[in-house]
Amino acid sequence: MEKVPDITVVVPVFDEEDSLPTLQAEIVRALDPLGRAFEVVYVDDRSADRSLAVILDLQRTDGRVRAIALRARVGQTAAMAAGFDHARGEVVVTIDGDLQNDPADIPLLLDALERGADVVSGWRKDRRDGFVLRRLPSLFANRLIALVSGVAVHDTGCTLKAFRREVVEHLPIYAEQHRFLPVLSAGSGARISEIVVNHRPRRFGRSKYGLGRAARVLLDLLVVKMLSSFSQRPLSYFALLTAPFALLLIGLLASALANAEQITSGNGWGTVALFTTMILFMACVYFVMLGLLAELAVKASGMHRSRPHRPLSTAGFPAGEIVR
Amino acid sequence: MRSAPAVEETRQPAGRRSTHAGAVSVIIPVTKPTAEVGEVVRALTQELERLSRDHEFILVFDGVRGAAWLEAQRLSTERPEKVHTVGLQQSFGESVCLSAGYEKARGAILLTSPQYVQVDPSAIGPMLAAIDQGEDFVTSWRRRRVDPWLNRLQSNLFNWITRRIIHVKLHDLNCTFRAFRREVLEEMHLYGDMYRFLPAIAFRQGFRVTELEVVHLREWGGAGLFGVGVYARRLLDVLGMLFLAKFTLKPLRFFGAIGGLFMLLGGAMAAYIEIEHLVKGSGVYQRPLFLIGVLMLMLGVQIIGFGLVGEIIIYTQARNLREYRVERIWESRDDRERP
Repeated sequence: MEKVPDITVVVPVFDEEDSLPTLQAEIVRALDPLGRAFEVVYVDDRSADRSLAVILDLQRTDGRVRAIALRARVGQTAAMAAGFDHARGEVVVTIDGDLQNDPADIPLLLDALERGADVVSGWRKDRRDGFVLRRLPSLFANRLIALVSGVAVHDTGCTLKAFRREVVEHLPIYAEQHRFLPVLSAGSGARISEIVVNHRPRRFGRSKYGLGRAARVLLDLLVVKMLSSFSQRPLSYFALLTAPFALLLIGLLASALANAEQITSGNGWGTVALFTTMILFMACVYFVMLGLLAELAVKASGMHRSRPHRPLSTAGFPAGEIVR
Repeated sequence: MRSAPAVEETRQPAGRRSTHAGAVSVIIPVTKPTAEVGEVVRALTQELERLSRDHEFILVFDGVRGAAWLEAQRLSTERPEKVHTVGLQQSFGESVCLSAGYEKARGAILLTSPQYVQVDPSAIGPMLAAIDQGEDFVTSWRRRRVDPWLNRLQSNLFNWITRRIIHVKLHDLNCTFRAFRREVLEEMHLYGDMYRFLPAIAFRQGFRVTELEVVHLREWGGAGLFGVGVYARRLLDVLGMLFLAKFTLKPLRFFGAIGGLFMLLGGAMAAYIEIEHLVKGSGVYQRPLFLIGVLMLMLGVQIIGFGLVGEIIIYTQARNLREYRVERIWESRDDRERP
């Protein structure tokens, strides 16, 4: 009989009745040869179809399956958070319920963890989705995220990821943040690795994502950068944000002083430059104040005292597919 | 090797009170002393007994007494285990009545009814059946209405607007004859006009909501127009609530949208003046639009700054926010032997 499982596979499920039996079989086929104890946690996000019944069938035939039914539909991230909270394995693997990820890739991810990574993110190098609607926006977004955060993950949207549990245990998972878990955990000192994984076209059902995420990605970027690098000292982040305005302010002030005689006469560029300088100055002050407010929030929550997590790992850290 | 595991069902604590599976608690908010309490209780009892459902009535008096109160007292002395009365000291509105009723209710299914026999009670059967089949919330739709056309028009217009704004395909929010699982109210703080929008709110919270056509028997009150203010307040209430709920975890989505709009507008203004200055050589200092543009740009930047502070606050508090609620976990008993 199984003891404490070593690996937990978390599968958020929403309307996937057709693919689940295949998925379960594939997971078992991929993990059985490893000889490690594992469990598969299916989190049913209140599917409208028979998904839950299918999961319960799987649960009856295989004791390694655990089923979690949620009370209300909450979306993929929260469903995943439920899986994380109930995971018992040292290693947590997340995988899509729609068979687009290939469970045969899981051993590769586990391998990378063995070799010293704390978080392994799948990279669907050869994506089988529409180019214009799915791949292009994602390519663009991922490049931006990599550029801004300094964590070069090619494919934040890939659900197939593996984590050492202690790394993510301290990270709050909410809203759509599961995409940014690697980036966020890198902010607290985790070592991120990336593995090219297989991506298969959809066999059942339809895609549950839509377009219209471009603006959101930009906003998410601001947030991810702030949370991954500055969550302990937000004032620095706000100070950084004022930099462009401060530069502009200095330039305008110089321009105003150069046209100083127009300021007194009241008609000329000098006046406008002075006014604009004043507005920019106000903006800079406001930003610093907001930064102080944010600092206050962090201090009040006591979060600054929980030291950035430095995961213990004795294994060597080979170069190669390890990106960071 | 693996023997067939025994299935053990662990259940999350479902509130302080023990609930009766399958039992129905009927909550009736009473707002007028002329309420036909006796008739409602009689009609619903008859139907529930026909369905052989375990049931109880909870009559919540919204600060009113009068004939209805006496009637309710009589009913509850007659059948003390079936009829309970709750008297609020003053009028708090139907939402608070519902909350008070929920506190007392012991059934796993709650049924709310107007204070008179508005729709044919035979709808209870299909409603409860739908819940047994996995729906969380069943609301009724008076497809053929019997009230004056003026009221009907207003009501339909109100429902239409609500449908547009909240994106919920419900036709009749004004009929409070509804059945739902107790879980729907478990973590909901009810106030104001929320009772009216309850199906829409439940839907937005991720519960499964369905609609059932009912037979409209009669309607209280004559024809009349509600003021515009009444509707505006109702809609604002629900909008505020829904948007707050939606953006709590992602404040920058909200602030970013507003701030971005200001930035775009302001940037366009300033850029327009600047381009004219470069092309035509008209002086920037003669154009107040430039300064207004710069001001708006900065306003937008500030608003985004507020959003960022919001994000920080949410991030620091996120460990206290749990987005999901577990209904049930199935796992094999063998796995649970460890401490």
